[in-house]
Amino acid sequence: MSEKIYAWLLRLYPSHFREKYGDDALQLFRDRSRDEKGIVPSLRLWLDLFADLAISVPREYFHAEPELVAASAQYPFTGTPFFYVLRDKSPRPGALVLGVMLSLGALVTFSILLSQGGRYRPLSAPARQNQHAVYESSPASVQPALQAADDASYSASGGVETIASISQQPAMAATPARPIDATPRDSQSLVPLAPNNSLCPQSSTPQPLDAANPIQPDPSPTHPDSTPATAAAVQNANLDAAERQLVIDAVVANLKDHYIYPDIAHRTADALLAHEKAGDYDALTDGAAFATLLTRQLRDVSHDLHLEVVYSQVPLPSHLTGPTREGIARYRAVMEQQNCTFEKAQILAHNIGYLKLNSFPDPSLCESTAKAAMVALNDADAIIFDLRNNRGGYPGMVMLMAAYLFDHPEYMYNPRENTAEQSWTHSPVPGNRLANKPVYVLISSRTFSGAEHFSYNLKMLKRATLVGETTGGATDVGNFHRIDDHFGMGIRETRAINPYSESDWAVTGVDPDVKVKSADALDTAVKLAESKLRKK
Amino acid sequence: MPKRKLDPLPSAAFQILLSLVGEDLHGYGIMREVEDQTEGRMRLGPGTLYSSIQSLLEAKLIEELDQHEDAKLSHERRRYYRLTSAGRKLACAEAQRLADLLRVARVKKLLRGEYV
Repeated sequence: MSEKIYAWLLRLYPSHFREKYGDDALQLFRDRSRDEKGIVPSLRLWLDLFADLAISVPREYFHAEPELVAASAQYPFTGTPFFYVLRDKSPRPGALVLGVMLSLGALVTFSILLSQGGRYRPLSAPARQNQHAVYESSPASVQPALQAADDASYSASGGVETIASISQQPAMAATPARPIDATPRDSQSLVPLAPNNSLCPQSSTPQPLDAANPIQPDPSPTHPDSTPATAAAVQNANLDAAERQLVIDAVVANLKDHYIYPDIAHRTADALLAHEKAGDYDALTDGAAFATLLTRQLRDVSHDLHLEVVYSQVPLPSHLTGPTREGIARYRAVMEQQNCTFEKAQILAHNIGYLKLNSFPDPSLCESTAKAAMVALNDADAIIFDLRNNRGGYPGMVMLMAAYLFDHPEYMYNPRENTAEQSWTHSPVPGNRLANKPVYVLISSRTFSGAEHFSYNLKMLKRATLVGETTGGATDVGNFHRIDDHFGMGIRETRAINPYSESDWAVTGVDPDVKVKSADALDTAVKLAESKLRKK
Repeated sequence: MPKRKLDPLPSAAFQILLSLVGEDLHGYGIMREVEDQTEGRMRLGPGTLYSSIQSLLEAKLIEELDQHEDAKLSHERRRYYRLTSAGRKLACAEAQRLADLLRVARVKKLLRGEYV
């Protein structure tokens, strides 16, 4: 048996060695194993053999560099084909079979990897666009125009699951992506700017999902316990037992199928089923209230503020469509008209730079505007970003702006991003002198999403002082699952690791370092900057 | 094929030359002799042994015997090796070199002893 093993190991040597000394080596092995009987000696024998193999096999191969064997006997006379072969023998059939099998294996593995990989990294252009989705909600000032653009274009994308707005924010509440919204919008009702993302399906009169949320002012609270006084609530009072059942079943199924942590999914689902069994939902006839209650219960158990159930009074589209050409054109027109929402870029007294930015616009349209604004502020001794009316936008623009504030690539945590390479700033920016200047960011309760992404990371990196009020708390990371015409749910399906803490700014918002009223934030920041510059 | 290096003489090759000084041996015999003369410290494995033998053959320091008397008696076909005069000369030179080294070591009081 052991002789067979050694004979097999001998095949590791190059063929010229095996041919000449294979038998001798085997003979030597036989002699030794005959003379060295017992556990310890045979163990020593094998140790010797392996050490010997490790040393001599590579050496033999080194010495076995092939000789060129002239296959054709004659020198090449004019034009006579002739060639050298490395060996004068053809490979063994076993070697050929092994070679074929290895190549096939490699080919199959590669094909599988290629097809599987495509699932996680969209290759097609539309899919890529989804990934770089806008956060959503347009700035209030450009709202009416954007709203139209949104409805038409950025509503929803085909084939790809949409990202729902996770906010319970009135302003974030989005209308379903359809150009049918006959209800006149009030100043609060916003549409998702999100290209991909559709729609955060909710009634056109935005309703907070979580009326108990202390941060956001709530224009029309629809608390589950409150009497359905509003017109919307009256209209909603047609939720019947069958639909309740359907929604609960779908929520439970979605949790189990899609939630990233299976144990929490099961616990959460069990809690909902327990509530159902206890009859907690029986009296509910208001869809929005039902959704709010479900959301609260989901979050109570899972402690995941990215989970939500949403109710839309307007029927949700049964399938999602991509952005239209007109919609994109309108967005472009609005951006041109609004200077890409870069409202002000100026130098204040004491050489303090001031940039008022009302969204983080699409970098493919607005990169040059953004760069021009930063160049205008390049010589400032400190810089103030005014994001008090910034409702978010494209992560790409967040990264572009943040790049100016560092002299080395810096990691910017984004709960929506799956890929790490999109989370590093392209710092340093050539010619930029702001990398080491003091930074102040003005925030308010109307600061959302992408603007929170910007503020949160600068705060965590201790790169900026945040001045103002706690922000809105919109992360928009959930994938949207349609349940029926009126209900859907958002489930976070990415596992971006937050290096700072378990929770991010979802729902709770980003707290300022210096808490002052939004209206006083600029004065406060200017004073802070002046005193800091004086100390230098 | 690149020539195997014997300059400086590897320790395994020198041991093989030494083992063949007294008598002609086959592979296993060489291995045993080397083990004896190093007091068990060096046990040449088949790969190292035959690869060294090959180098020594190529350098004509040892030669393969056509047929050894012992082999004629047994049925096993074994190759026997004998030291050539060049091999003997090289083994002497190497031993001399080591002796010189040893002398230096003694002068520097690294080793005790009067001889060599």
